[in-house]
Amino acid sequence: MMDQALWRAWVIKNHLTLDPSPQTRSLSGAPCLDYSLLELIEPASFDIAAMRALLDGHNVPERDWLFGLMTQSKLFNPRRVGSRVFVAPDYNQSMEQQRELTMRRIKFLLEKGVVDGWLTRGTVEEELRKFALQEVADIYDHSLAIKLGVHFFLWGGAIQFFGTERHHVKWLRDTENYVVKGCFAMTELGHGSNVRGIETVTTYDPRTEDFIINTPCESAQKYWIGGAANHATHTVAFSQLNINGINQGVHAFIVQIRDADGNICPNIRIADCGHKIGLNGVDNGRIWFDNVRIPRENLLNSVADVSPDGEYLSAIKDPDQRFAAFLAPLTAGRVSLAVSAIYSAKIGLAITIRYALSRRAFSVAPNQPEVLLLDYPSHQRRLLPLLAKTYAMSFSANHLKMIYVKRTPELNKTIHILSSAFKASFTWHNMRTLQECREACGGQGLKTENRVGHLKGEKDVQSTFEGDNNVLMQQISKTLFAEYLAARKRNEPFKGLGLEHMNGPCPVLPQQLPSTVLRGGQFQVDAFRVRERDLLNRFAEEILQRQARGERKEHALLSSYQLAEDLGRAFSDRCVLQNFVEVEENSPAGSLRDMLALLRSMYSLTCMEEDASFLRYGYLSTENAAAVRKEVAKLCSELRPHSLALVNSFGIPDAFLSPIAFNWVEANSWSSVQH
Amino acid sequence: MASFSSSNGQEDQVLVEEKSFARTLILNRPEQLNAATDYMISRFLELLLLYEKDSNVKLVIVKGKGRAFSAGGDVTSAVHDINSGKWKSVAIFFRKNYTLHYLIATYSKPQVSIMNGIVMGGGAGCSTHGSFRVATENSVFSMPETALGLFPDVGASYFLSRLPGHFGEYLGLTGARLDGAEMLACGLATHFVPSAKLPSLEAALHTVDSSDQAVISAIIGEYSELPMLKEQSAYHRLDVINRCFSRRTVEDILSALEREATNKVDGWILASIQSLKKASPTSLKISLRSIREGRLQGVGQCLVREYRMVCHVIRGEVSKDFVEVLQLIRRLLYSLI
Repeated sequence: MMDQALWRAWVIKNHLTLDPSPQTRSLSGAPCLDYSLLELIEPASFDIAAMRALLDGHNVPERDWLFGLMTQSKLFNPRRVGSRVFVAPDYNQSMEQQRELTMRRIKFLLEKGVVDGWLTRGTVEEELRKFALQEVADIYDHSLAIKLGVHFFLWGGAIQFFGTERHHVKWLRDTENYVVKGCFAMTELGHGSNVRGIETVTTYDPRTEDFIINTPCESAQKYWIGGAANHATHTVAFSQLNINGINQGVHAFIVQIRDADGNICPNIRIADCGHKIGLNGVDNGRIWFDNVRIPRENLLNSVADVSPDGEYLSAIKDPDQRFAAFLAPLTAGRVSLAVSAIYSAKIGLAITIRYALSRRAFSVAPNQPEVLLLDYPSHQRRLLPLLAKTYAMSFSANHLKMIYVKRTPELNKTIHILSSAFKASFTWHNMRTLQECREACGGQGLKTENRVGHLKGEKDVQSTFEGDNNVLMQQISKTLFAEYLAARKRNEPFKGLGLEHMNGPCPVLPQQLPSTVLRGGQFQVDAFRVRERDLLNRFAEEILQRQARGERKEHALLSSYQLAEDLGRAFSDRCVLQNFVEVEENSPAGSLRDMLALLRSMYSLTCMEEDASFLRYGYLSTENAAAVRKEVAKLCSELRPHSLALVNSFGIPDAFLSPIAFNWVEANSWSSVQH
Repeated sequence: MASFSSSNGQEDQVLVEEKSFARTLILNRPEQLNAATDYMISRFLELLLLYEKDSNVKLVIVKGKGRAFSAGGDVTSAVHDINSGKWKSVAIFFRKNYTLHYLIATYSKPQVSIMNGIVMGGGAGCSTHGSFRVATENSVFSMPETALGLFPDVGASYFLSRLPGHFGEYLGLTGARLDGAEMLACGLATHFVPSAKLPSLEAALHTVDSSDQAVISAIIGEYSELPMLKEQSAYHRLDVINRCFSRRTVEDILSALEREATNKVDGWILASIQSLKKASPTSLKISLRSIREGRLQGVGQCLVREYRMVCHVIRGEVSKDFVEVLQLIRRLLYSLI
């Protein structure tokens, strides 16, 4: 009781005898943050237009034309923020509204001639133009690109590649004009990656010359069918084909699911997949077929056919080969996905790096202004290696596109493995980049308007659709193992897939790794080749040993998943580096080429720093690994002054970035608030 | 700073009025429709730079004497220079001109341009980039460069590309004329004030004591009206304009217009087809691309790019059309002497 009173008295005494000595620090406010136009402070050291031409690869004027069309139309939701205009869908709208608007935007593109000739003009130039325009649509909105992709590349592609003349004549023009709206019914509730296991069953009735498609159980319902929930009139339905009691495997059939007025056809049931974490502009649906009858001509018969009296005919006797021939054309989807992932990473990095060049936090010395985010070594380390990787992957994506559009049957295997490898690597890279970018933008990364965080939900699906990434990577190691066996069995050198380096002696990596060596193209290529070679040897040995112990090959492959993962990554990295070196060597000497060399080193050395294989299997000693890590840090500080020019070279117009990439103080000012 | 006082009475080409915190610059070559000479551009630039630093200046007003605001740059001196191979001095003129436009576009104090008459070419450059543009019933706007073998410059690739839809391509390629109401509707003008009320408006502006844009906007707003667009205005048919002028190439635009002409015989469609057919084909293609690239660039980038383009044009490298036009003008002038 006494203590309390004493304490109370002490407190009051302190109030009365407060030392009126002057404050040593005056309460002057820090000067208001001043945003300066970035381009004035950080001029470019190389030709940005030339770099963009390298990164985009083709059809730059067409891309800018489509950017311009979207910028000028109210349909694409231009929004004034401060003194700038940004163009992006309103993701706050309901699912139904977003779906409607996406269809209306497609109609707009149709009217403007954007999709003219996408299916009917089959030249290489046309294919490249198609890719370019879809990439631009994707930069605007992933849902828009997906709706276009489903209709043109999946439905349209199926008609083109699985169908024959009569299908082309009947369906392609109507598809191009959106008289029919197509979708692609392959995936089922119970089967996604394993297409061969789908449960929809089709039989043939020779009396009426109809096929009958049926969903025999709930797990056979078609699922995630983009376009099916609201708009599609027709679908390519994949199904097991039973002829005379024999299952002939998976085939594709054209089925009408809605009439021209939008009413669902009889014996077809459709349900909605519901709200998603992203891509709510795509109306994904579920489809049940209740013994639906379709004419015999609706079988897409480029690989196999059924005669009017019910005889199964195919030039390819082996069902595995037949299935492979079937799926080969779907590679276009993987190619465009790999590219889409890289453009998404570009958007994230452009916004985040520009933000980091204007946002400050903490001073490192008293009475000094706060430091720019990108001037922190740790911030550089988080973003600049991702920037270099994005550059590297962009060049590879273009290389893949070029091989694809000029494809020949001999190149099928190469295209298949490259598209699988790149689809997996690039989509994973994109998700990692977006997450890092979101964090690097702090709270601003949470605003949908700022795009970076929102893109995560939109692009997440890329790692699992069109082939689950993990499954794809396993397929790579399987393919490489098959190459290994074939070369060994025939006692012939490796040929194709860039594996020729396996034929020569194993490169010897230098013991000492000073900066000059580390940055040398030859060292980097050698290091990647050493890793790939060693991992392929180990993997093959492991499988063969297990088989020798009596394990079945499939079981051995599954058990060796750790090596398979490492090998898949090694293969993918090596291909990307090879493409990068090619681009670099084809560039004339000068500041652009010097910049490419810098980025190439950043790409290679970061891969070496991050992949435990190098230490685990001893390609690098611990000292060398430390030297690599140090070099990465050095490269970060050397790339820092070029960061702005490097992201400006992406060629993404300002309106498609977001407010934090510019004067974010003005964008958030009271006068910018909509009252 | 060197002042541009000259010996042959050039000072009169730009008159200055100082009223309290407002400075009014008056383009004063009414017989030549206030076509801007090298002196006028220099003087304009000099004054603006001075005013930016002068804390006693809060507002700049720009207007023209006579029936024009400004019909553009004075090409007569350019004629002589280009023909005698001295393209560099013409280039310097353009450079100074574009620098002035950039200054106007990025000026830290508000500028009110009173466009009570003809606003063409360079005249648009001196007004449209400013913060406030007042049109009247006498205003006539046009970017006629394609008919002259040039292309809409003075930062037009910036401001035309930002008009609604593809109206900018329409104006830039056809050189179509807009009246005051149309200028307001599409955003080239920020306000419309009947010419009778201009004296009171200017008097009100002279009382301004701050650079606050909201205050100035409110003052102009008090004298503003919302005029009706004339019935045959092309602006009513923005859907058709967008359909045609969004096409990828000049050829496609022309065929789209000709297709529209078979459906509906709107006067402006026929006029557009005529203008396109009479214009320099190279100019049309350069203009279209310039506007489309400008759509994705800032005003500074646009002006830099246009300067490069105009240098090529005046050197006659890409096409001799502009040079020929100037020679034609020269022959006309000589024939009038």
